[in-house]
Amino acid sequence: MAGTLIVSNLKTDTDNTFIVRSNTGTTLFSANTTGIDVANSIGATAITSDKILSIANTKISGNIISSQITSVANTQITGNIVSSQITSIGGSQITANTIANSAIQTGAVENYMNAAGLGFGMRNRIINGAMVIDQRNAGASVTPADGAYTLDRWFVYQFVASKFSVQQNAGSITPPVGFSKYLGVTSLSAYTVLSGGANTVAQSIEGFNTSDLQWGTANAKTVTLSFQVYSSLTGTFGGSVQNSAANRSYPFTYTISSANTWTSISVTIAGDTSGTWIGSTNGKGMTIFFGLGVGSTFSGTAGSWAGAQYYSATGATSVVGTNGATFYITGVQLEKGSTATSFDYRPYGTELVLCQRYYETSRGTASTFTQSTTIAYPVFVVDTTRTSGRQFSVAKRSAPTVTIYSRNNTSGKVSTVSSGADNAGTASTSGISETGWSATVIGTATTAGVGIEVAYVADSEL
Amino acid sequence: MKTYKLIANSDGSVNTIIRIEDNACIPFDPANTDYQAYLKWVSEGNTPEPADE
Repeated sequence: MAGTLIVSNLKTDTDNTFIVRSNTGTTLFSANTTGIDVANSIGATAITSDKILSIANTKISGNIISSQITSVANTQITGNIVSSQITSIGGSQITANTIANSAIQTGAVENYMNAAGLGFGMRNRIINGAMVIDQRNAGASVTPADGAYTLDRWFVYQFVASKFSVQQNAGSITPPVGFSKYLGVTSLSAYTVLSGGANTVAQSIEGFNTSDLQWGTANAKTVTLSFQVYSSLTGTFGGSVQNSAANRSYPFTYTISSANTWTSISVTIAGDTSGTWIGSTNGKGMTIFFGLGVGSTFSGTAGSWAGAQYYSATGATSVVGTNGATFYITGVQLEKGSTATSFDYRPYGTELVLCQRYYETSRGTASTFTQSTTIAYPVFVVDTTRTSGRQFSVAKRSAPTVTIYSRNNTSGKVSTVSSGADNAGTASTSGISETGWSATVIGTATTAGVGIEVAYVADSEL
Repeated sequence: MKTYKLIANSDGSVNTIIRIEDNACIPFDPANTDYQAYLKWVSEGNTPEPADE
């Protein structure tokens, strides 16, 4: 420790304790035969091979190595923690550390995270943020219509169609470290967006998954949006967070400085204390838009809430303005709190089930129903007109729209089991609920006893 | 432009419509966005095709 230790006002040692106080009388350091207490200190450079009872109100910038610390409170630790044991941590901040070969009392970190309202598992409110699920297109490129879904849970919002295509892993570049998939947008022309136009890729989040944020109240929670982005363009890009009524918006910007380079972005958004936000329902809690070229009418000042319908920030780069421009994104995470934590990886099966709450098909991983690749068919035994029902693999957000297909991918048709050909009968559904549906087959070929196969798509997207 | 047709159950009641362009069956669920689009279409003065007898 630099400086000078001046000893004055010596007292008789009665309890084997050595105490250092500041000139105002505050205890900075004390030690006895059982351990050491550090308090109210700044810049403790390192703790090595020490046994410390407590550290409080202290900033530790050095490493903590091979030490035992019973209690840490209201302390900022910026060094590494290696081969140490910390029994409890409360009200403290640990940043930019390596914690290696160290023991932290079970529950201590969880208690801290919960006390801070951060939570642990399932932090990410975005579904399919790693872009791994693509039930509709199975990796194929599509030029989506307005409102159409691309990769699972990701839809496009646009005023003029055919200005960009979307494909999982478009361009086949190397995804960012830790990811295998990304959503790739490619501009199909050099289109000048009208002032009243917008091109976006977006995800809506169900109210059940956002209500705890308490937006629209004085207790609105801060959230952080983070993602990895890659573009052939550089500059300031934009997006927006919007309520279901499209009358509250928070435009945001982010910068891509290097073309064709994955860039990590983090945007912290103070919760909206005004406006109407869907509560704990199966309605649209909020929508996250990524602007690909948005006109001035629908662009607003970045970094603040507005009672307006904005899809991006004023002055943001237009991807659709450059023919062949690319915009790739993955690792999208929206979480409570003002810090972007590491991406919340979920098992593939879990992510698929989360997606299937909104979209499910009996064709498995193929993008179309075919004789050879379709995996699952409910088989119905015809009773002249009415057939049996089927339960969805995953309960839906709401009673879904159901489209019946034959094995030849003909919508509204069914297949004859014996031949695999489209049956002359037609099919419609009835009794659609969140958990299942039944099909009705009508037509001259619906003779009792004829086996009929029915494939389906069930859609209850927001 | 989308067009719709009502679908009758065996008891004659109607709680499903078909979107004719893609044969999608849409339930009468206020939370279903396709049903919301149908209601908007009706509010604009359009009328679905009646259910088959």
